[in-house]
Amino acid sequence: MSPEPSSESSVLLLRLAGPMQSWGDRSSFNRRETRPEPTKSGLVGLLAAALGRPRGADLTDLAGLRCGVRVDQPGTVLRDYHTVSDFRGLPLLQAGVSAKGVQKPTSPAKPTHVTHRFYLQDAVFVAALAGDSELVGALADAVRRPAFPLALGRRSCTPTQPLALDVRPGGLEAVLASEPWHAARHARQAYRRRQGGAVPEVDLPATFDDEDGTDVVNDLPLSFNARDRRYSTRRVRHAWLTVPTGETAVGGAAAASSHDPFALLGW
Amino acid sequence: MPYLSRIRINHLRPASRRLLANPHVTHGAVVGGLAEITGTERPLWRWDTDRAQRPHLTVCTPSKPDWSHITEQYGWPDADGDQVLVRDYSPLLERLATGQEYAFRITANPVQNIPPSQKDIDEHHGEKKIRSRRAGHRTAAHQWSWFLSRSEGWGFEVPPAPLPPTEQDGDDPAAAVDLRITHRQRLAFDKKGKSVVLTTASFHGRLRITDLDRFTYHLTTGFGPAKAYGCGLLTVAPLTFGNGC
Repeated sequence: MSPEPSSESSVLLLRLAGPMQSWGDRSSFNRRETRPEPTKSGLVGLLAAALGRPRGADLTDLAGLRCGVRVDQPGTVLRDYHTVSDFRGLPLLQAGVSAKGVQKPTSPAKPTHVTHRFYLQDAVFVAALAGDSELVGALADAVRRPAFPLALGRRSCTPTQPLALDVRPGGLEAVLASEPWHAARHARQAYRRRQGGAVPEVDLPATFDDEDGTDVVNDLPLSFNARDRRYSTRRVRHAWLTVPTGETAVGGAAAASSHDPFALLGW
Repeated sequence: MPYLSRIRINHLRPASRRLLANPHVTHGAVVGGLAEITGTERPLWRWDTDRAQRPHLTVCTPSKPDWSHITEQYGWPDADGDQVLVRDYSPLLERLATGQEYAFRITANPVQNIPPSQKDIDEHHGEKKIRSRRAGHRTAAHQWSWFLSRSEGWGFEVPPAPLPPTEQDGDDPAAAVDLRITHRQRLAFDKKGKSVVLTTASFHGRLRITDLDRFTYHLTTGFGPAKAYGCGLLTVAPLTFGNGC
């Protein structure tokens, strides 16, 4: 783990849960995909919306926050088959432009596009954003009383409450590892069934901003301007966190293989 | 003097697959290990297939068995390690006392008796007494309640699961007692040309002995029906972390 800058004095914890989420990082046109985890651009966009910043506003302070995302419940992918057409019955526009720089209509005329939109359904993530405590405090207030409606990656994906969990001092990884598991009841029951009883800890995958990380993702937002969207890359590190489940141990892991009737026969 | 045995089975041998697939064949192999069958006591056996590549057969026999024929046909006759483990069961039976708690495992055949319908009575006109029909419980909920309702007569109870109070499992019957159904199966196999169909369920959990005599009796003679076909052998193990459920 790289040493954390001294300016990082507090961490904002967000619980990202809702019926649907969609975190696209590179898809455009008619196939809109989703990443399995929230993107930094999605998180920065959510915070900028909470602060009431317009589209073209400067994002350097928000993009400078160190972020970490924990997958509490991975969810499943939902594909939405969608068609798009002009309500006046006009042909849709093509990619090519005329001499005036205006998009030409499709020829032969094409009235309907088929698009595919992908969503994560029934997923729960815990995102942590570490930075200057003054900024993080302001962000926590803004998320509790947002200026614009907040969404989980796409406008149609509304979050469930509570969205802002806490503001805590300390390092990003330590805070994220100490936050209890936020899985739904059915996911907990499935985990208990697999483990053969309640266990006090669960291992969850997590991704952190790290300059020495092994992976590169192209989701660091430079501008959300509608006519000038720009992204840069960031390095991330993938890790596993051992997180408290909030349950006391009742049975145990390995119950299936530990039943030994001969243990009572004195051998 | 009862004995408890564990026999390792080599699942890669074609004969072992027949053994694993057909309880009638397994029963024959188990009975073949007893030189003398005394009294009315019968051997009880159960497949333990926690790891699919390492199945083993747990058997409770009334007298000291010899499993060399099973090892030769279905196991690893010359391999290292204990292919067969045979232990005297009496130290456990002497140690049991009312109120003790153990982790247990059983594969059972939950059944119900269906009283004769009017149609059955009409078909047997003239006969006064018509036997009711036995049918297997096929849903987990029925198998669950079958086990819990029988447990008192078998001399034990399943105590409540010590779940933390924060857990909101109010509407989940599985959370109320320390009992789990780990496996359910419909067995259909041949027995001398006739087909036999059984519904079995494997229960894991924690028990507390309430009636020592009944419990000890059933430990060596079996719980519930289909004892010849891998049902009714209950084994107890110490309750430790990572054991019960």
